[in-house]
Amino acid sequence: MNTQTLQAMQPDVEKPLFVGEKPMPKYIRRSVLALSIDDAQLGEKAYASWADAIILDCAKHPGRDWQADLKARVPAAIQAAARGGAEVFVRVNRDSAAAELEAVVFSGIAGVVLKGVTAPEDITAAAEQLDALEVSRGIAHGALEIDVEVDTAGAVWHSLAIARASERFGVFYVNEAALCQNLGMQSTPTLAFDPLEYIKSQLITVATSVGGQAMGMSYPLGLAQDNADEAIVKKAVRLARDTGFKGSMCPHAAWIKVCNEGFRPTAEEAAYYVKVIEVFAEGIKRGMASVPIDGKMIDVPVDLRAKLYLKWANRAQVRDDAKARAHERQGN
Amino acid sequence: MAETVALNNRRSWMIVPAHDPAAGTCHEKTKPDVVVLDLEYSVPPKAKESARAGLGALVKKLGDSQVEVFVRIDRATRWADVRAAMHRGIKGIVFSGPDAPEEVAELDELITAMERERGIDVGATELVLMLESAKGFWSADAITQASPRVSALGVGRIDLTMRLGPVPQDEFRLGRFLMTRALVAARMLDKQPLGALWRPGSRGGVANVAATIKAATEARLMGFTGCVCATPEQVAPVNEGFALA
Repeated sequence: MNTQTLQAMQPDVEKPLFVGEKPMPKYIRRSVLALSIDDAQLGEKAYASWADAIILDCAKHPGRDWQADLKARVPAAIQAAARGGAEVFVRVNRDSAAAELEAVVFSGIAGVVLKGVTAPEDITAAAEQLDALEVSRGIAHGALEIDVEVDTAGAVWHSLAIARASERFGVFYVNEAALCQNLGMQSTPTLAFDPLEYIKSQLITVATSVGGQAMGMSYPLGLAQDNADEAIVKKAVRLARDTGFKGSMCPHAAWIKVCNEGFRPTAEEAAYYVKVIEVFAEGIKRGMASVPIDGKMIDVPVDLRAKLYLKWANRAQVRDDAKARAHERQGN
Repeated sequence: MAETVALNNRRSWMIVPAHDPAAGTCHEKTKPDVVVLDLEYSVPPKAKESARAGLGALVKKLGDSQVEVFVRIDRATRWADVRAAMHRGIKGIVFSGPDAPEEVAELDELITAMERERGIDVGATELVLMLESAKGFWSADAITQASPRVSALGVGRIDLTMRLGPVPQDEFRLGRFLMTRALVAARMLDKQPLGALWRPGSRGGVANVAATIKAATEARLMGFTGCVCATPEQVAPVNEGFALA
Protein backbone atom coordinates (compact mmCIF):
# COMPACT_ATOMS: atom_id res chain seq x y z
CA MET A 1 0.00 0.00 0.00
CA ASN A 2 1.65 3.28 -1.08
CA THR A 3 1.47 6.72 0.51
CA GLN A 4 -1.13 8.05 -1.91
CA THR A 5 -3.53 5.24 -1.24
CA LEU A 6 -3.17 5.55 2.51
CA GLN A 7 -3.50 9.32 2.51
CA ALA A 8 -6.65 9.11 0.44
CA MET A 9 -8.15 6.90 3.11
CA GLN A 10 -7.65 9.11 6.12
CA PRO A 11 -7.46 12.68 7.39
CA ASP A 12 -4.32 14.81 7.29
CA VAL A 13 -1.56 12.84 9.00
CA GLU A 14 -0.39 15.84 11.01
CA LYS A 15 -3.81 16.92 12.20
CA PRO A 16 -4.72 15.72 15.72
CA LEU A 17 -7.85 13.63 15.92
CA PHE A 18 -8.69 14.87 19.38
CA VAL A 19 -7.47 17.49 21.82
CA GLY A 20 -4.20 16.61 23.51
CA GLU A 21 -3.46 13.73 21.16
CA LYS A 22 0.17 12.70 20.96
CA PRO A 23 1.45 10.75 18.00
CA MET A 24 1.27 7.02 18.56
CA PRO A 25 3.91 5.76 18.45
CA LYS A 26 5.98 8.84 19.18
CA TYR A 27 8.65 7.88 16.70
CA ILE A 28 8.60 5.67 13.63
CA ARG A 29 11.71 3.88 14.70
CA ARG A 30 11.01 0.25 13.96
CA SER A 31 14.52 -0.98 13.29
CA VAL A 32 17.67 0.23 15.01
CA LEU A 33 21.15 -0.85 14.00
CA ALA A 34 24.28 -0.31 16.08
CA LEU A 35 27.50 0.43 14.18
CA SER A 36 30.99 1.31 15.32
CA ILE A 37 32.58 4.53 14.15
CA ASP A 38 35.72 2.43 13.68
CA ASP A 39 33.96 0.35 11.04
CA ALA A 40 35.52 1.20 7.69
CA GLN A 41 32.25 0.18 6.02
CA LEU A 42 30.10 2.33 8.31
CA GLY A 43 28.54 4.45 5.57
CA GLU A 44 27.92 1.52 3.26
CA LYS A 45 26.41 -0.62 6.01
CA ALA A 46 24.14 2.17 7.24
CA TYR A 47 23.03 2.96 3.69
CA ALA A 48 22.35 -0.65 2.77
CA SER A 49 20.57 -1.49 6.01
CA TRP A 50 17.37 0.54 5.54
CA ALA A 51 17.26 0.86 9.32
CA ASP A 52 15.09 3.63 10.73
CA ALA A 53 17.85 4.58 13.14
CA ILE A 54 21.56 4.02 13.57
CA ILE A 55 23.29 4.05 16.93
CA LEU A 56 26.96 4.90 16.77
CA ASP A 57 29.33 3.23 19.21
CA CYS A 58 32.50 5.16 19.92
CA ALA A 59 35.34 3.12 21.39
CA LYS A 60 38.06 4.85 23.38
CA HIS A 61 41.39 3.82 21.98
CA PRO A 62 44.24 3.48 24.45
CA GLY A 63 47.28 5.59 23.86
CA ARG A 64 45.31 8.42 22.31
CA ASP A 65 43.56 11.51 23.65
CA TRP A 66 40.21 9.78 23.19
CA GLN A 67 38.16 12.95 23.50
CA ALA A 68 40.15 14.74 20.81
CA ASP A 69 40.10 11.59 18.72
CA LEU A 70 36.31 11.28 18.90
CA LYS A 71 35.73 14.98 18.34
CA ALA A 72 37.73 14.69 15.15
CA ARG A 73 35.97 11.59 13.85
CA VAL A 74 32.37 11.63 15.07
CA PRO A 75 31.01 14.41 12.79
CA ALA A 76 32.01 12.47 9.67
CA ALA A 77 30.66 9.26 11.16
CA ILE A 78 27.30 10.97 11.78
CA GLN A 79 27.14 12.05 8.15
CA ALA A 80 28.05 8.58 6.95
CA ALA A 81 25.45 6.93 9.18
CA ALA A 82 22.72 9.24 7.91
CA ARG A 83 23.32 8.44 4.23
CA GLY A 84 20.38 6.06 3.99
CA GLY A 85 17.97 8.47 5.69
CA ALA A 86 18.28 6.99 9.18
CA GLU A 87 18.10 9.02 12.36
CA VAL A 88 21.48 8.92 14.05
CA PHE A 89 22.18 8.49 17.76
CA VAL A 90 25.36 8.11 19.76
CA ARG A 91 25.64 5.59 22.59
CA VAL A 92 27.15 6.93 25.80
CA ASN A 93 28.21 5.17 29.01
CA ARG A 94 26.68 6.51 32.18
CA ASP A 95 29.93 6.15 34.14
CA SER A 96 31.78 8.59 31.90
CA ALA A 97 28.80 10.36 30.39
CA ALA A 98 30.01 13.92 30.93
CA ALA A 99 33.30 13.39 29.12
CA GLU A 100 31.73 11.29 26.38
CA LEU A 101 28.92 13.75 25.68
CA GLU A 102 31.47 16.50 25.31
CA ALA A 103 33.27 14.39 22.70
CA VAL A 104 30.36 13.02 20.64
CA VAL A 105 27.51 15.54 20.55
CA PHE A 106 27.44 17.29 17.19
CA SER A 107 24.87 18.61 14.78
CA GLY A 108 23.26 15.78 12.86
CA ILE A 109 22.42 13.46 15.74
CA ALA A 110 18.86 13.06 16.94
CA GLY A 111 19.97 12.23 20.44
CA VAL A 112 22.01 10.02 22.69
CA VAL A 113 21.43 6.55 24.11
CA LEU A 114 22.59 6.26 27.71
CA LYS A 115 23.60 2.83 28.95
CA GLY A 116 24.29 1.76 32.53
CA VAL A 117 21.71 4.13 33.94
CA THR A 118 20.76 3.39 37.55
CA ALA A 119 18.88 6.47 38.72
CA PRO A 120 16.99 9.54 37.43
CA GLU A 121 19.93 11.74 38.37
CA ASP A 122 21.82 10.20 35.47
CA ILE A 123 19.23 11.64 33.11
CA THR A 124 19.03 15.09 34.68
CA ALA A 125 22.82 15.41 34.58
CA ALA A 126 22.92 14.45 30.91
CA ALA A 127 20.00 16.77 30.10
CA GLU A 128 21.75 19.74 31.72
CA GLN A 129 24.88 19.05 29.76
CA LEU A 130 22.92 18.76 26.52
CA ASP A 131 21.37 22.18 27.25
CA ALA A 132 24.85 23.67 27.18
CA LEU A 133 26.12 21.59 24.28
CA GLU A 134 23.17 22.55 22.11
CA VAL A 135 24.12 26.20 22.57
CA SER A 136 27.82 25.71 21.96
CA ARG A 137 27.41 23.34 19.00
CA GLY A 138 24.67 25.24 17.19
CA ILE A 139 21.90 22.74 17.78
CA ALA A 140 18.30 23.87 18.36
CA HIS A 141 17.47 24.11 22.03
CA GLY A 142 15.79 20.96 23.32
CA ALA A 143 16.26 19.11 20.04
CA LEU A 144 18.39 16.29 21.37
CA GLU A 145 16.64 13.27 22.76
CA ILE A 146 17.83 11.10 25.64
CA ASP A 147 17.09 7.41 25.25
CA VAL A 148 17.88 4.84 27.91
CA GLU A 149 19.28 1.39 27.32
CA VAL A 150 17.86 -0.58 30.23
CA ASP A 151 20.59 -2.90 31.42
CA THR A 152 20.57 -2.56 35.22
CA ALA A 153 18.21 -3.43 38.05
CA GLY A 154 18.30 0.22 39.09
CA ALA A 155 17.02 1.38 35.70
CA VAL A 156 14.11 -1.03 36.01
CA TRP A 157 13.25 -0.14 39.58
CA HIS A 158 13.47 3.63 38.96
CA SER A 159 12.04 3.52 35.43
CA LEU A 160 9.18 5.93 36.10
CA ALA A 161 11.42 8.51 37.75
CA ILE A 162 13.94 8.07 34.94
CA ALA A 163 11.32 8.61 32.25
CA ARG A 164 10.01 11.67 34.05
CA ALA A 165 13.46 13.10 34.75
CA SER A 166 13.63 15.13 31.54
CA GLU A 167 11.43 16.28 28.68
CA ARG A 168 14.18 14.91 26.49
CA PHE A 169 13.38 11.32 27.40
CA GLY A 170 12.21 9.36 24.38
CA VAL A 171 12.80 5.63 24.42
CA PHE A 172 13.59 2.67 26.63
CA TYR A 173 15.67 0.04 24.86
CA VAL A 174 15.52 -3.33 26.61
CA ASN A 175 18.99 -4.88 26.49
CA GLU A 176 17.94 -8.36 27.50
CA ALA A 177 21.35 -10.00 27.66
CA ALA A 178 22.90 -7.27 29.80
CA LEU A 179 19.84 -7.03 32.00
CA CYS A 180 19.78 -10.77 32.60
CA GLN A 181 23.43 -10.63 33.56
CA ASN A 182 22.81 -7.76 35.96
CA LEU A 183 19.88 -9.59 37.54
CA GLY A 184 21.75 -12.88 37.84
CA MET A 185 19.35 -14.52 35.41
CA GLN A 186 20.20 -17.25 32.96
CA SER A 187 21.27 -15.43 29.82
CA THR A 188 20.12 -18.17 27.46
CA PRO A 189 16.39 -18.73 26.91
CA THR A 190 16.01 -21.97 28.87
CA LEU A 191 12.77 -21.25 30.69
CA ALA A 192 9.36 -21.98 29.19
CA PHE A 193 8.32 -18.42 30.03
CA ASP A 194 9.94 -15.02 29.56
CA PRO A 195 11.71 -14.17 32.82
CA LEU A 196 11.68 -10.52 31.77
CA GLU A 197 7.96 -10.46 30.95
CA TYR A 198 6.96 -8.17 33.79
CA ILE A 199 9.96 -5.92 33.37
CA LYS A 200 9.10 -5.47 29.70
CA SER A 201 5.47 -4.73 30.60
CA GLN A 202 6.62 -2.15 33.11
CA LEU A 203 8.98 -0.42 30.69
CA ILE A 204 6.39 -0.29 27.91
CA THR A 205 3.78 1.17 30.25
CA VAL A 206 6.12 3.67 31.84
CA ALA A 207 7.58 4.92 28.55
CA THR A 208 4.13 5.30 27.04
CA SER A 209 2.88 7.12 30.13
CA VAL A 210 5.30 9.99 29.47
CA GLY A 211 4.64 10.05 25.73
CA GLY A 212 7.67 7.97 24.81
CA GLN A 213 7.97 4.39 23.67
CA ALA A 214 9.77 1.14 24.42
CA MET A 215 11.84 -0.89 22.01
CA GLY A 216 12.46 -4.59 22.38
CA MET A 217 11.86 -8.06 21.08
CA SER A 218 9.71 -10.93 22.31
CA TYR A 219 10.97 -14.03 24.10
CA PRO A 220 12.95 -16.10 23.29
CA LEU A 221 14.41 -14.27 20.26
CA GLY A 222 15.08 -11.10 22.25
CA LEU A 223 17.37 -13.03 24.55
CA ALA A 224 18.82 -15.47 22.05
CA GLN A 225 19.50 -12.72 19.45
CA ASP A 226 19.66 -15.44 16.80
CA ASN A 227 20.06 -14.80 13.13
CA ALA A 228 16.90 -16.86 12.77
CA ASP A 229 14.79 -17.67 9.74
CA GLU A 230 12.64 -14.84 8.50
CA ALA A 231 9.45 -16.64 9.52
CA ILE A 232 10.68 -16.92 13.12
CA VAL A 233 11.72 -13.27 13.27
CA LYS A 234 8.41 -12.25 11.72
CA LYS A 235 6.43 -14.13 14.35
CA ALA A 236 8.61 -12.71 17.14
CA VAL A 237 8.17 -9.16 15.83
CA ARG A 238 4.40 -9.56 15.72
CA LEU A 239 4.40 -10.77 19.31
CA ALA A 240 6.64 -7.87 20.33
CA ARG A 241 4.34 -5.39 18.59
CA ASP A 242 1.30 -6.93 20.22
CA THR A 243 3.03 -6.61 23.59
CA GLY A 244 3.55 -2.89 23.04
CA PHE A 245 7.05 -2.54 21.65
CA LYS A 246 7.32 -0.07 18.78
CA GLY A 247 10.57 -1.31 17.33
CA SER A 248 13.70 -3.24 18.15
CA MET A 249 17.44 -3.15 18.06
CA CYS A 250 18.54 -5.39 15.22
CA PRO A 251 21.66 -7.50 15.92
CA HIS A 252 21.46 -8.91 12.40
CA ALA A 253 20.84 -7.05 9.16
CA ALA A 254 18.18 -9.62 8.28
CA TRP A 255 16.01 -8.45 11.16
CA ILE A 256 15.69 -4.93 9.76
CA LYS A 257 13.34 -5.60 6.87
CA VAL A 258 11.12 -7.74 9.10
CA CYS A 259 11.04 -5.06 11.80
CA ASN A 260 10.27 -2.32 9.27
CA GLU A 261 7.33 -4.33 7.98
CA GLY A 262 6.22 -5.75 11.30
CA PHE A 263 6.27 -2.79 13.66
CA ARG A 264 3.42 -1.06 11.86
CA PRO A 265 -0.13 -1.98 10.93
CA THR A 266 -0.23 -4.35 7.98
CA ALA A 267 -1.89 -3.45 4.66
CA GLU A 268 -4.76 -5.78 5.58
CA GLU A 269 -5.20 -4.05 8.92
CA ALA A 270 -5.11 -0.64 7.26
CA ALA A 271 -7.77 -1.72 4.79
CA TYR A 272 -9.93 -2.96 7.65
CA TYR A 273 -9.52 0.33 9.53
CA VAL A 274 -10.64 2.23 6.43
CA LYS A 275 -13.74 0.08 6.32
CA VAL A 276 -14.38 0.68 10.03
CA ILE A 277 -14.10 4.44 9.61
CA GLU A 278 -16.37 4.51 6.57
CA VAL A 279 -19.06 2.25 8.02
CA PHE A 280 -19.05 4.04 11.37
CA ALA A 281 -19.31 7.48 9.71
CA GLU A 282 -22.29 6.22 7.71
CA GLY A 283 -23.89 4.88 10.90
CA ILE A 284 -23.45 8.21 12.68
CA LYS A 285 -25.15 9.95 9.76
CA ARG A 286 -28.09 7.61 10.24
CA GLY A 287 -28.25 8.52 13.94
CA MET A 288 -26.64 5.34 15.30
CA ALA A 289 -24.09 5.19 18.13
CA SER A 290 -22.68 1.84 17.12
CA VAL A 291 -22.69 -0.28 13.98
CA PRO A 292 -21.80 -3.92 13.29
CA ILE A 293 -19.01 -5.01 10.95
CA ASP A 294 -18.33 -8.69 10.37
CA GLY A 295 -19.99 -9.57 13.67
CA LYS A 296 -18.04 -6.96 15.65
CA MET A 297 -19.60 -3.88 17.21
CA ILE A 298 -18.01 -0.59 16.13
CA ASP A 299 -18.46 2.40 18.39
CA VAL A 300 -16.56 5.60 19.18
CA PRO A 301 -13.41 4.08 20.72
CA VAL A 302 -13.11 1.48 17.97
CA ASP A 303 -13.50 4.21 15.36
CA LEU A 304 -10.88 6.29 17.12
CA ARG A 305 -8.47 3.37 17.33
CA ALA A 306 -8.95 2.75 13.61
CA LYS A 307 -8.05 6.36 12.86
CA LEU A 308 -4.99 6.24 15.13
CA TYR A 309 -3.76 2.99 13.61
CA LEU A 310 -4.33 4.28 10.11
CA LYS A 311 -2.33 7.33 11.00
CA TRP A 312 0.42 5.07 12.31
CA ALA A 313 0.41 3.14 9.03
CA ASN A 314 0.59 6.38 7.12
CA ARG A 315 3.47 7.74 9.17
CA ALA A 316 5.37 4.50 8.66
CA GLN A 317 4.84 4.82 4.93
CA VAL A 318 5.99 8.44 4.99
CA ARG A 319 9.12 7.29 6.80
CA ASP A 320 9.77 4.60 4.20
CA ASP A 321 9.28 7.14 1.41
CA ALA A 322 11.75 9.51 3.07
CA LYS A 323 14.37 6.78 3.29
CA ALA A 324 13.72 5.89 -0.34
CA ARG A 325 14.31 9.51 -1.34
CA ALA A 326 17.55 9.53 0.65
CA HIS A 327 18.67 6.47 -1.25
CA GLU A 328 17.74 8.06 -4.55
CA ARG A 329 19.76 11.15 -3.70
CA GLN A 330 22.75 9.04 -2.76
CA GLY A 331 22.29 7.03 -5.93
CA ASN A 332 22.53 10.17 -7.98
CA MET B 1 28.10 -3.95 59.48
CA ALA B 2 27.08 -7.29 58.06
CA GLU B 3 29.43 -8.44 55.36
CA THR B 4 28.13 -9.18 51.92
CA VAL B 5 27.89 -12.94 51.75
CA ALA B 6 28.90 -15.10 48.85
CA LEU B 7 25.55 -15.45 47.16
CA ASN B 8 25.48 -19.14 46.45
CA ASN B 9 26.75 -20.31 49.83
CA ARG B 10 23.24 -20.07 51.22
CA ARG B 11 20.95 -22.05 48.96
CA SER B 12 18.78 -23.96 51.43
CA TRP B 13 17.29 -22.17 54.43
CA MET B 14 15.75 -25.00 56.47
CA ILE B 15 12.99 -24.03 58.86
CA VAL B 16 13.33 -25.79 62.20
CA PRO B 17 10.67 -25.28 64.87
CA ALA B 18 12.58 -23.87 67.82
CA HIS B 19 10.51 -25.83 70.35
CA ASP B 20 11.24 -29.17 68.67
CA PRO B 21 13.44 -31.36 70.87
CA ALA B 22 15.25 -32.48 67.72
CA ALA B 23 15.98 -28.91 66.61
CA GLY B 24 19.62 -29.15 67.60
CA THR B 25 20.38 -32.20 65.51
CA CYS B 26 17.90 -32.31 62.63
CA HIS B 27 20.32 -30.59 60.28
CA GLU B 28 22.89 -33.35 60.60
CA LYS B 29 21.20 -35.65 58.13
CA THR B 30 19.92 -33.13 55.61
CA LYS B 31 22.82 -30.66 55.73
CA PRO B 32 21.13 -27.39 54.84
CA ASP B 33 23.30 -24.37 54.15
CA VAL B 34 21.37 -22.42 56.78
CA VAL B 35 19.30 -23.50 59.78
CA VAL B 36 16.45 -21.11 60.53
CA LEU B 37 15.26 -21.60 64.08
CA ASP B 38 11.62 -20.66 63.89
CA LEU B 39 9.62 -18.67 66.39
CA GLU B 40 6.86 -18.06 63.86
CA TYR B 41 4.19 -20.36 62.44
CA SER B 42 5.78 -23.72 63.04
CA VAL B 43 5.71 -23.14 66.79
CA PRO B 44 2.32 -23.63 68.53
CA PRO B 45 1.26 -20.62 70.63
CA LYS B 46 1.56 -22.64 73.82
CA ALA B 47 5.16 -23.53 73.05
CA LYS B 48 6.36 -20.02 72.11
CA GLU B 49 7.69 -19.12 75.54
CA SER B 50 9.58 -22.34 75.99
CA ALA B 51 10.95 -22.01 72.46
CA ARG B 52 12.30 -18.54 73.26
CA ALA B 53 13.75 -19.73 76.56
CA GLY B 54 15.56 -22.60 74.91
CA LEU B 55 17.16 -20.62 72.11
CA GLY B 56 20.42 -19.84 73.91
CA ALA B 57 21.28 -23.48 74.48
CA LEU B 58 20.11 -24.42 71.01
CA VAL B 59 22.26 -21.81 69.32
CA LYS B 60 25.26 -22.93 71.31
CA LYS B 61 24.71 -26.54 70.32
CA LEU B 62 24.28 -25.68 66.67
CA GLY B 63 27.29 -23.40 66.80
CA ASP B 64 29.48 -26.39 67.48
CA SER B 65 28.38 -27.90 64.17
CA GLN B 66 29.53 -24.95 62.02
CA VAL B 67 26.14 -24.59 60.36
CA GLU B 68 24.94 -21.01 59.87
CA VAL B 69 22.08 -20.20 62.23
CA PHE B 70 19.36 -17.61 61.80
CA VAL B 71 16.22 -17.06 63.88
CA ARG B 72 12.88 -16.34 62.24
CA ILE B 73 10.80 -14.02 64.36
CA ASP B 74 7.05 -13.54 64.45
CA ARG B 75 5.97 -10.13 63.20
CA ALA B 76 3.39 -9.81 65.95
CA THR B 77 5.84 -10.57 68.76
CA ARG B 78 9.04 -9.45 67.08
CA TRP B 79 10.37 -7.40 69.96
CA ALA B 80 10.24 -10.28 72.46
CA ASP B 81 11.47 -12.69 69.79
CA VAL B 82 14.53 -10.58 68.98
CA ARG B 83 15.41 -10.28 72.65
CA ALA B 84 15.20 -14.05 72.95
CA ALA B 85 17.11 -14.69 69.74
CA MET B 86 20.15 -12.50 70.26
CA HIS B 87 22.87 -14.91 71.34
CA ARG B 88 26.44 -15.12 70.25
CA GLY B 89 26.46 -17.67 67.46
CA ILE B 90 23.49 -16.56 65.39
CA LYS B 91 24.24 -15.03 62.03
CA GLY B 92 21.04 -13.09 61.80
CA ILE B 93 17.32 -12.57 62.12
CA VAL B 94 14.70 -13.47 59.51
CA PHE B 95 11.87 -10.95 59.58
CA SER B 96 8.75 -11.96 57.66
CA GLY B 97 6.24 -9.42 56.45
CA PRO B 98 7.89 -5.99 56.80
CA ASP B 99 5.50 -3.31 55.62
CA ALA B 100 7.44 -0.09 56.13
CA PRO B 101 11.04 1.11 56.47
CA GLU B 102 10.31 2.33 60.00
CA GLU B 103 9.68 -1.24 61.14
CA VAL B 104 13.06 -2.35 59.85
CA ALA B 105 14.83 0.67 61.32
CA GLU B 106 13.24 -0.01 64.68
CA LEU B 107 14.32 -3.63 64.54
CA ASP B 108 17.84 -2.51 63.63
CA GLU B 109 17.96 -0.34 66.75
CA LEU B 110 16.72 -3.15 68.93
CA ILE B 111 19.29 -5.55 67.49
CA THR B 112 22.04 -2.99 68.08
CA ALA B 113 20.99 -2.58 71.70
CA MET B 114 20.92 -6.34 72.16
CA GLU B 115 24.33 -6.74 70.54
CA ARG B 116 25.76 -4.31 73.08
CA GLU B 117 23.97 -6.04 75.94
CA ARG B 118 25.06 -9.54 74.91
CA GLY B 119 28.63 -8.70 73.94
CA ILE B 120 28.13 -9.34 70.23
CA ASP B 121 30.04 -7.25 67.69
CA VAL B 122 27.82 -4.29 66.89
CA GLY B 123 26.54 -4.58 63.34
CA ALA B 124 27.47 -8.23 62.97
CA THR B 125 23.92 -9.55 63.06
CA GLU B 126 22.31 -9.78 59.64
CA LEU B 127 18.69 -9.12 58.81
CA VAL B 128 16.83 -11.12 56.18
CA LEU B 129 13.55 -9.67 54.98
CA MET B 130 10.78 -11.84 53.55
CA LEU B 131 8.21 -9.76 51.68
CA GLU B 132 4.65 -10.85 52.33
CA SER B 133 2.40 -7.91 51.62
CA ALA B 134 1.49 -5.67 48.70
CA LYS B 135 2.78 -2.71 50.69
CA GLY B 136 6.04 -4.49 51.38
CA PHE B 137 6.59 -5.37 47.76
CA TRP B 138 5.82 -1.88 46.56
CA SER B 139 8.31 -0.26 48.93
CA ALA B 140 10.89 -3.04 48.86
CA ASP B 141 13.71 -0.62 48.09
CA ALA B 142 13.03 1.69 51.03
CA ILE B 143 12.44 -1.24 53.37
CA THR B 144 15.69 -2.88 52.33
CA GLN B 145 17.67 0.32 52.69
CA ALA B 146 16.27 0.99 56.16
CA SER B 147 19.09 -1.01 57.71
CA PRO B 148 22.62 -1.78 56.58
CA ARG B 149 22.17 -5.18 58.23
CA VAL B 150 19.88 -6.40 55.48
CA SER B 151 21.72 -9.10 53.55
CA ALA B 152 18.89 -10.89 51.78
CA LEU B 153 15.48 -10.12 50.39
CA GLY B 154 12.98 -12.86 49.81
CA VAL B 155 9.52 -13.67 48.57
CA GLY B 156 7.30 -14.72 51.43
CA ARG B 157 4.77 -17.42 51.98
CA ILE B 158 1.09 -18.00 51.57
CA ASP B 159 0.31 -14.85 53.57
CA LEU B 160 1.02 -12.99 50.40
CA THR B 161 -1.66 -14.86 48.49
CA MET B 162 -4.16 -14.22 51.24
CA ARG B 163 -3.41 -10.53 51.52
CA LEU B 164 -3.61 -9.90 47.80
CA GLY B 165 -6.87 -11.72 47.47
CA PRO B 166 -6.63 -14.44 44.87
CA VAL B 167 -7.30 -18.05 45.74
CA PRO B 168 -5.19 -19.78 43.12
CA GLN B 169 -6.93 -22.77 41.55
CA ASP B 170 -3.98 -23.18 39.26
CA GLU B 171 -0.76 -21.18 39.12
CA PHE B 172 -0.56 -18.21 41.50
CA ARG B 173 -0.56 -15.72 38.66
CA LEU B 174 0.78 -12.84 40.69
CA GLY B 175 3.71 -14.95 41.77
CA ARG B 176 6.11 -14.29 38.92
CA PHE B 177 5.39 -10.57 38.94
CA LEU B 178 6.12 -10.39 42.67
CA MET B 179 9.22 -12.54 42.32
CA THR B 180 10.46 -10.25 39.54
CA ARG B 181 9.92 -7.20 41.70
CA ALA B 182 11.75 -8.73 44.67
CA LEU B 183 14.59 -9.85 42.42
CA VAL B 184 15.04 -6.41 40.87
CA ALA B 185 15.10 -4.75 44.30
CA ALA B 186 17.54 -7.31 45.68
CA ARG B 187 19.93 -7.09 42.74
CA MET B 188 19.74 -3.31 42.66
CA LEU B 189 20.77 -3.18 46.31
CA ASP B 190 23.26 -6.07 46.15
CA LYS B 191 21.31 -8.39 48.46
CA GLN B 192 20.78 -12.12 48.14
CA PRO B 193 17.48 -12.80 46.34
CA LEU B 194 15.52 -15.63 48.00
CA GLY B 195 12.56 -17.41 46.48
CA ALA B 196 11.39 -20.43 44.52
CA LEU B 197 8.81 -20.82 41.80
CA TRP B 198 6.43 -23.12 43.64
CA ARG B 199 3.72 -24.65 41.49
CA PRO B 200 0.13 -25.52 42.29
CA GLY B 201 -0.25 -28.45 44.63
CA SER B 202 3.41 -28.32 45.52
CA ARG B 203 3.83 -25.15 47.51
CA GLY B 204 6.55 -24.97 50.13
CA GLY B 205 5.05 -27.15 52.84
CA VAL B 206 4.01 -30.06 50.67
CA ALA B 207 6.33 -29.96 47.68
CA ASN B 208 7.80 -33.33 46.79
CA VAL B 209 11.36 -33.83 45.64
CA ALA B 210 10.71 -33.44 41.91
CA ALA B 211 8.52 -30.37 42.38
CA THR B 212 11.09 -28.80 44.68
CA ILE B 213 13.93 -29.33 42.22
CA LYS B 214 11.80 -27.72 39.51
CA ALA B 215 10.81 -24.79 41.74
CA ALA B 216 14.42 -24.15 42.74
CA THR B 217 15.86 -24.63 39.25
CA GLU B 218 13.39 -22.23 37.65
CA ALA B 219 14.04 -19.71 40.40
CA ARG B 220 17.79 -19.99 39.80
CA LEU B 221 17.27 -19.38 36.10
CA MET B 222 15.22 -16.33 37.07
CA GLY B 223 18.09 -14.99 39.15
CA PHE B 224 17.39 -16.26 42.66
CA THR B 225 20.09 -17.98 44.65
CA GLY B 226 18.30 -19.72 47.50
CA CYS B 227 14.99 -20.29 49.24
CA VAL B 228 13.32 -21.39 52.42
CA CYS B 229 12.76 -25.12 52.91
CA ALA B 230 9.58 -25.82 54.83
CA THR B 231 10.51 -29.47 55.35
CA PRO B 232 13.85 -31.27 55.74
CA GLU B 233 13.07 -33.32 52.62
CA GLN B 234 13.33 -30.18 50.51
CA VAL B 235 16.92 -29.39 51.45
CA ALA B 236 18.64 -31.72 49.00
CA PRO B 237 16.44 -30.80 46.02
CA VAL B 238 16.81 -27.10 46.83
CA ASN B 239 20.58 -27.46 46.98
CA GLU B 240 20.46 -29.29 43.67
CA GLY B 241 18.17 -26.75 42.03
CA PHE B 242 20.25 -23.79 43.11
CA ALA B 243 23.61 -25.37 42.34
CA LEU B 244 25.35 -23.41 39.65
CA ALA B 245 25.14 -25.21 36.36
